[in-house]
Amino acid sequence: MSVTPEPPPTTAPTKAPNPPEEPSGAGLFSLILRRQSIVVILVALLGSALIGAALIRYQGVSPWYAYQTIFKEALLVDGGLTRTLLKTAPLILTGLAVVIPLRVGLFNIGGQGQFVISAAVAGVTAYAARGAGFGALIIGLLVGVLVGAMWASIAALLKTWRGVHEVITTIMLNNIAAGIIWWMVTTGPGAFKNTSQIPMTGPIDKAAWMPTIAGIPLGFVIAAALAILCGWMLSRTTMGFRFDTVGKNKFAAGYAGIPINRVILLSMVLAGGLAGLAGAMEVHGVMHHFEPAIGGTLGFDGITIALLARSNPIWTIPAAFLVGILRTGAAGLQFATGIAPEIVDLILAITLLLVSIPVLGRWIFRSRADKVQAAATSWGN
Amino acid sequence: MKAKRYLVAGAATALALGLTACGGSTGSTGSGSSASGAASDDSNCADAAVFCIGLVTDTGKVDDKSFNQASHEGAKAAAAADGGFYKYVETQDAKDYAANMAQFTNKKYDVVVTVGFLMTDATAEAAAGSPDTKFIGVDQFFDPATVTAKNLTGIQYPEDQAGYGAGYLAGLMTKTNKIGQVLGLEIPPVQKFAKGYEAGAKAANPAVQVTTVYHPAGDNAFNDPTWGAAEAKKQLDQGADFIFGAGGNTGNGALQEVAKATGAGDTVFCIGVDTDQWDTVPAAQKCLITSATKELSKSVTDTIAVANKGDFEGLTTMGSAGLAPFHDFDSKIPADVKTKVEKVVSDLKSGALETGVTL
Repeated sequence: MSVTPEPPPTTAPTKAPNPPEEPSGAGLFSLILRRQSIVVILVALLGSALIGAALIRYQGVSPWYAYQTIFKEALLVDGGLTRTLLKTAPLILTGLAVVIPLRVGLFNIGGQGQFVISAAVAGVTAYAARGAGFGALIIGLLVGVLVGAMWASIAALLKTWRGVHEVITTIMLNNIAAGIIWWMVTTGPGAFKNTSQIPMTGPIDKAAWMPTIAGIPLGFVIAAALAILCGWMLSRTTMGFRFDTVGKNKFAAGYAGIPINRVILLSMVLAGGLAGLAGAMEVHGVMHHFEPAIGGTLGFDGITIALLARSNPIWTIPAAFLVGILRTGAAGLQFATGIAPEIVDLILAITLLLVSIPVLGRWIFRSRADKVQAAATSWGN
Repeated sequence: MKAKRYLVAGAATALALGLTACGGSTGSTGSGSSASGAASDDSNCADAAVFCIGLVTDTGKVDDKSFNQASHEGAKAAAAADGGFYKYVETQDAKDYAANMAQFTNKKYDVVVTVGFLMTDATAEAAAGSPDTKFIGVDQFFDPATVTAKNLTGIQYPEDQAGYGAGYLAGLMTKTNKIGQVLGLEIPPVQKFAKGYEAGAKAANPAVQVTTVYHPAGDNAFNDPTWGAAEAKKQLDQGADFIFGAGGNTGNGALQEVAKATGAGDTVFCIGVDTDQWDTVPAAQKCLITSATKELSKSVTDTIAVANKGDFEGLTTMGSAGLAPFHDFDSKIPADVKTKVEKVVSDLKSGALETGVTL
């Protein structure tokens, strides 16, 4: 990242000894240069919004009206903001579950599996502990974190012990998790017969529901706090420094005496715990029971969030919020205009494409563009 | 040189800004046309004279060639027949059922149709919360012991009647006196199809042997075409000349296997399920003599008409089931067979004939 041989410092970490060698008129530009990853994301968002607008227009609907509807539905309608935040909370956590291993140079595609298996076990546990009132909530969340961490550590142990690539193991563990869950809710310990024959676990106690205080779901507060905590951990602690060092150069880190295997294991355990917490929170805060549909695509959405946030934990909050807004507003959009709700996924995909390919940054900043980010280089580490 | 680079960056920014302005203007000019479009015709659904129908899918699209599409077409037909206004929302996430139904109840829609058994609990909850809107759950069963709402009915289908009709046809037509069926998960609706099929075949031809195989439980019981194809092949090898494929993609796999067999459409035939699979599985057209169908569209249209007039009969509304058209096989089936099968299907509908199927 900071290996540019050019004398003018163009990257954020080396900005301190910056002499005022540029003419004062260019102050804004040098600021933009230093903050170029934000600029790239903003331009990408703008670009995808414009492409989306063209597609909406093509369907005979005013793009302005469509975007207005999405935002009105997600933020201003009665209860809309709460629903958006409810959707944002798990996205922040599954985003963090991708961000943290990414900083160590691992690509965790197992967020989905870690999410659903934790949700299932937490659902069963909370149902079993339904006499415990509020205690069942605490137990459920703890179980979720533990199960997620354990599930992710399988991939981490295979990586450190036998060098198995985490992309392969995490993807395969997703399928294993799905299989176990199906057994759990059809014939296993979580089976619960409801009138409509949907495989699910029993409903948890109202006392163990995750509360929404003044329209703000508790889950969102926890998720945002954890994002900030992760940001602090990565930038201000020895552990974070180790994570980043291993991510940048494993061999140098090893030479400097950093226990690489322990860092890999720890990052995956943290990631799994976060994804697992998201699963348990969906059980306690949204569904109030577990059924296989609880996962949706939340685990995979985490990858979107992490790339949008450029593997910065704190940026996962706005990234997840944006996705939450779009997802919440999509149904209202179809109700108001008849456009298929998938337009929202299309816009997200275009944004992601523009953010992840380094072309945009180079097109805007030419030779002053940041070197390719961790998000794009972690493959094949 | 440096200045030139800044120029490029500046130009890019300006371009981006220009594009924004451009996007904005497109938006404002278009908003008028959209406001006057059909989408805003539901502004006075609360008015007793305006009949508004809404439909929410179960994480599927209205062109899924299955339950969602059939219900969508039924609701559309009802809106046309009753001079009502119709609109639908396609659910993307199972957690959005309540919010999507609320879109309609907020606008005081008269009827909301929810599609598929996955929405059963959410529909019952919404009905309790919005007593002024009538809810119709397609393929949903509400337990009178737990659901007390009067503004709610679930449409159920006599699968055994559809299976009986299909089995009756197979029993009359079989040359080997051996027929088979490849089924999805062993759950009540599938069992009703299967037992009806067997009863119908035996009624038409007491000498017939029916081979029945259910998918062993698993999360892909309805999505295992490879297994379905292998089982169908086994049954063909054992001499069966009619195969009933009932179980989503698993059954479709069986149908396609039969279509590939030698003599497909001449000596061996297949029977589809749920909807007319002539349209949904074109690869099976070579052998697909008919399908044992739930008449979804008709039942949705009829139930909406009931809702428009007054109260539902009860928590359960019985839809109808029957056989799909014979399409290309119309000329290959002897006239007397057709007459007999048609009589059996209509007798089942009228209640003159019972399938005798119990679970």
